[in-house]
Amino acid sequence: MRMPIYRKVLIYLAIILVLIFFLGPIYWFWALSLRSPTSAFASPPEFFFEPTLNAFIYTFVNPGVNAPQLVSSLIVATGATLLNLPFSVTAAYALSRFRMRAKQFLMMWYISLLMAPPVVFLIPYFILMSSLKLRGTYLSMIIIAQTITIPFSIWLLKSFFDEVPVDIEEAAQVDGASWYQALTRITFPLALPGIIVTSMFAFVFTWNNVIFPLVLSNQSTATLPVGTLNYFATTGATWNFIAATAVVTMLPPMIIFLVLGRYIVRGLTFGAVKG
Amino acid sequence: MDALSSRRILPYLLVLPSILMLIGLIIYPISFSLINSFRQWNLQTSPVPLGFVGLLNYRMVFETTPFLDALRNTLILSIAGTFIEFWFGMGIALLLASQLKGTNAVRALLIMPTTIAPIVAGFLFRYMYYERGGLITWLLTQIGFPVPPQGLLGSSTTALASIALADIWQWTPFFAIVLYAGLLSIPEDIKEAAIVDGATGLRMFAWITLPSISRTAIIVVMIRFMQLFNMFDLVLVLTRGGPGTASRTLSYNLYQEGLVNYNIGVAAAMTWIIVIIVTILINIYARVAFRGWEW
Repeated sequence: MRMPIYRKVLIYLAIILVLIFFLGPIYWFWALSLRSPTSAFASPPEFFFEPTLNAFIYTFVNPGVNAPQLVSSLIVATGATLLNLPFSVTAAYALSRFRMRAKQFLMMWYISLLMAPPVVFLIPYFILMSSLKLRGTYLSMIIIAQTITIPFSIWLLKSFFDEVPVDIEEAAQVDGASWYQALTRITFPLALPGIIVTSMFAFVFTWNNVIFPLVLSNQSTATLPVGTLNYFATTGATWNFIAATAVVTMLPPMIIFLVLGRYIVRGLTFGAVKG
Repeated sequence: MDALSSRRILPYLLVLPSILMLIGLIIYPISFSLINSFRQWNLQTSPVPLGFVGLLNYRMVFETTPFLDALRNTLILSIAGTFIEFWFGMGIALLLASQLKGTNAVRALLIMPTTIAPIVAGFLFRYMYYERGGLITWLLTQIGFPVPPQGLLGSSTTALASIALADIWQWTPFFAIVLYAGLLSIPEDIKEAAIVDGATGLRMFAWITLPSISRTAIIVVMIRFMQLFNMFDLVLVLTRGGPGTASRTLSYNLYQEGLVNYNIGVAAAMTWIIVIIVTILINIYARVAFRGWEW
């Protein structure tokens, strides 16, 4: 269908306005991380300024308080992603492949956990991890993250397993392969992209989570968003450090979402919308 | 084990680890909250729970914490937020659906706010809301909007709306991207048939487009409503529920009572009240959204 040129121009204009609205604040914060403290709160706002890397150097190099927190974030998000896989891959496979009376009930149970307010778990876990002497450990944060990563991954992975044709698997079994062989040699390789996509989302969700590390971490295991919050708790004068650490927190999810491309819709809807 | 019984038992063996793990993770919080909701326990005065007090904590939730204010704020935020994000997102999805050159790049850029940690989105807006030199405050002043002297976050008339704006910024792209995917999946022949029948513009949208993507729409609305209902991170960074209780949400009220005031007994009772509300909401939604779903 051909579109009149004036309509095209209008649509492009609208899209440009939309992009300015949604990307402007991100640009503004990146700019903040490159500003000098005087430029940060100039009134009226300075649209042109001399960029400096001082905030990044202070936060990540010298003295670099936030560098270990970056490592903590990586440990917790990677650990939570890896720990979740054996639980979710097996469950998603079963829920996709077999007739089960309890299937609908189980799927609903998983999604209701996913939608429960995380804050309700916070106080009990704070007390529990304190009494188990686990508070402040990576393990406590990795385990608690499973309340989100396992139900999420089961939902998303099931949608990927659903797409691997059962016929191929059954054909292999007719040819004498056991269900286990069919699973490991046929289904898993075919579902591998789905497992990778699911892992990337699980990583991002854990990476972006702040309230569990907020109460479960200590000074040596604090994750990067907790570090950002610490600058906030002290004084307003450290906005450059808030921005520098927040920019570093932003980057991995952004890159991962660029890689995820057409799987974004499916992941953000827990596999319910294929996209 | 013969083939038949293995096919019966095997799937349950495979889901069992996840069930055990999740039950293991929630059984403690559930029983902890249940027991302590009937006990007097403030961590500031006692490291261990004191005596049983019956239903006193449940009464205290309403009498000593602004629970109803928080509930009202939460409902306003969830309903208004979901509504605005849905229609704003729908508008953008329709723009994208004209499939002009560069749509894929636009889509990839557009989703960026959604990738950001909510806490970071909070910082973005906190900075832009600053009374002196904050970009949003400055822009509003330029166009003659009466910014309150205490700042947008410091005034009870604008605090909740300011939180909503940050959330709308972060999550409208989510609706746009998902609804756009829904629009693309409408079969061409349905659209063509409608055009042949003379449907145009708004009619086309109301009779063909919207019904075709209703399933997708219901699911995203459900997900987003619940996420908004649980809103915590933005409140923590932007207003801490203030001024007064003007922007306090249920989640923040619970956090305040449990981990700031250390009133574990009252917080436990509040947990149960919130869990009951959320369970009802999820059940209603899930029934609607997944009706006739192919499991």
